[in-house]
Amino acid sequence: MAEPYLRAENLVKKFGPFTALNGVNLEIYPGEVLALLGDNGAGKSTLIKTLAGVHQPTSGQLYIEGKPKTFRSPRDASDAGIGTVYQDLALNQLMSVTRNFFMGREIKGPLGMMKMDEMDRIAHDEMLKIGIDFSDPTQAVGTMSGGQRQTLAIARAIYFGAKVLILDEPTSALGQKQQMEVLKTIKRVRKRGDIAIIFITHNEIHSQLVADRYTFLALGQVIGGGKNGELGHDEIRRLMAGGAEMKDLEGELAAI
Amino acid sequence: MRLVRRPEAGAFIVMIVVVALITVASDFKAFNALGLKNNMAIISQFGIIATGAAMLMIAGEFDLSIGSMIGFAGMSMAMMLKWGLPFGLGEATPLTAIALTLVMTLSLGWLLGTIVVRSGLSSFIVSLAFLFGLRGTTEVAFRLINQSTQISGLPDFKEESWVAWIFGGEVFGWFYDIWFFLGGNINRRGEQWVDGFDARVLWWIIIVGCAYFVLSRTQIGNWIYATGDNKESARANGVPVNNVKIGLFMFTAFCATIFAACQVFDTNTADAAKGNLKELEAIAIAVVGGTLMTGGFGSVIGVIFGAVTFGLVANAVFYIPWIDGSFYRVFVGAVLLAAVFANERIRKRITGGI
Repeated sequence: MAEPYLRAENLVKKFGPFTALNGVNLEIYPGEVLALLGDNGAGKSTLIKTLAGVHQPTSGQLYIEGKPKTFRSPRDASDAGIGTVYQDLALNQLMSVTRNFFMGREIKGPLGMMKMDEMDRIAHDEMLKIGIDFSDPTQAVGTMSGGQRQTLAIARAIYFGAKVLILDEPTSALGQKQQMEVLKTIKRVRKRGDIAIIFITHNEIHSQLVADRYTFLALGQVIGGGKNGELGHDEIRRLMAGGAEMKDLEGELAAI
Repeated sequence: MRLVRRPEAGAFIVMIVVVALITVASDFKAFNALGLKNNMAIISQFGIIATGAAMLMIAGEFDLSIGSMIGFAGMSMAMMLKWGLPFGLGEATPLTAIALTLVMTLSLGWLLGTIVVRSGLSSFIVSLAFLFGLRGTTEVAFRLINQSTQISGLPDFKEESWVAWIFGGEVFGWFYDIWFFLGGNINRRGEQWVDGFDARVLWWIIIVGCAYFVLSRTQIGNWIYATGDNKESARANGVPVNNVKIGLFMFTAFCATIFAACQVFDTNTADAAKGNLKELEAIAIAVVGGTLMTGGFGSVIGVIFGAVTFGLVANAVFYIPWIDGSFYRVFVGAVLLAAVFANERIRKRITGGI
């Protein structure tokens, strides 16, 4: 773990007069899970969109394996190995697992014909690697559970070369069991050792279950961080609330 | 269970029922030598344009200009054949008339598609504008140049030109030869009655074959489904959504042009009113064939069944004495409504899995 795969140095992003990111530093190593926590409006979305090439930073620099990089488009970022799995997953419900897996990047032979058998096999194998034995890759994605869909989107990102996997609140909007399935998937990807995961979440319990390190954002700045196990429960909750003392909040609540 | 999930299952059942009913009600006249030829002719007409409409609907768009495009293309070909090529380029041959018309119709399809994807407006309204605009243009051009909205009495080009023959001639003669050889297909004088199917049957088979291959086997087919299902996620995965749509608007224009070419070279006539309401029939057939109005789902096979069903019922007035064209419209209305409900159930079953 000598060199981080991705490093962000002093990222600033301004939208007109509004400063969404105010000098964020971040580094992420292969084989680790970095939980990115923060309240609504803390700048999480802006940060991941900047890492994913959707936004260009106003100032600051990104480094991939130590080399400075500038992303002009999401395509640049994904070519550099940054795979983002957004909340909507970019999946098409009516299409089969395989057709979704290879959407836009089909394996084709002569006459633009898809090599369907090969694609079925790859989709099946890649999903098996991170935990789902999906026996029928011709099944429509609409029939899959939310957790299975996450797994499909993650497997797809990895297969197409993601070295940094950015997961945007993958456990929100899921039931308890499905949440655990997604956490298991994250652990399995971590175990491969060659992929860095940025796990964005609201849920401190989820982050404690899978994360190696934490970074807390508030008002566009990193307000704290640390290794899992070193931070206390109360400290995590305090930082998640944007640095406000939980006792104060509880006091305010009680006063109403 | 797997079969029920297929979009064309309902259309297949409806087709079987219709074939059985019409066979009995027409006392087998609908499927004698001439009946089969005539039925196949209208089935192919429906099939050609409905295939184009269905492909476009799978990509999430409508084209209401198909009927007007048929009128426009027919007018264009017939007028070139009668009055010569535009800009004083001399006499037209069937080949140059078709080629030049195809250039125009494909350009119009490209323009329609480009307006839709660039403006983000509903294709319903943009193509409705084309429906009126093209029909009007066709009528105006006919009146100004031809002094009449019809052209008839063109020479029978298919006698001379193989190009005209492949659109207006007859195909699969061997089928009727064998039928005659086996003792059927005989007219009152004891000679062979029918020589072959209309050429449009072959065009239908070609178009359906290509459409099926592209949609189910190729990368472009995957892009078409992806575009219609959710174009934002398709775009996020690198599918060239706009080009897919524009290409399919050009494909519906192509289908309309083939429809018109077959009509012109078969009958040696053209009429500004040709193709009226055909766009709605094409969409109805696509829906009955299992294509979702919302895009992303549908099958070319289902459209075959839909075209057979609609063609047979549209032609049934010639074989069943006690019905007229109004029955056809009642049937279309009822089947269409039933199909929309059936499709919606299939869609819910596929997407309701959480």
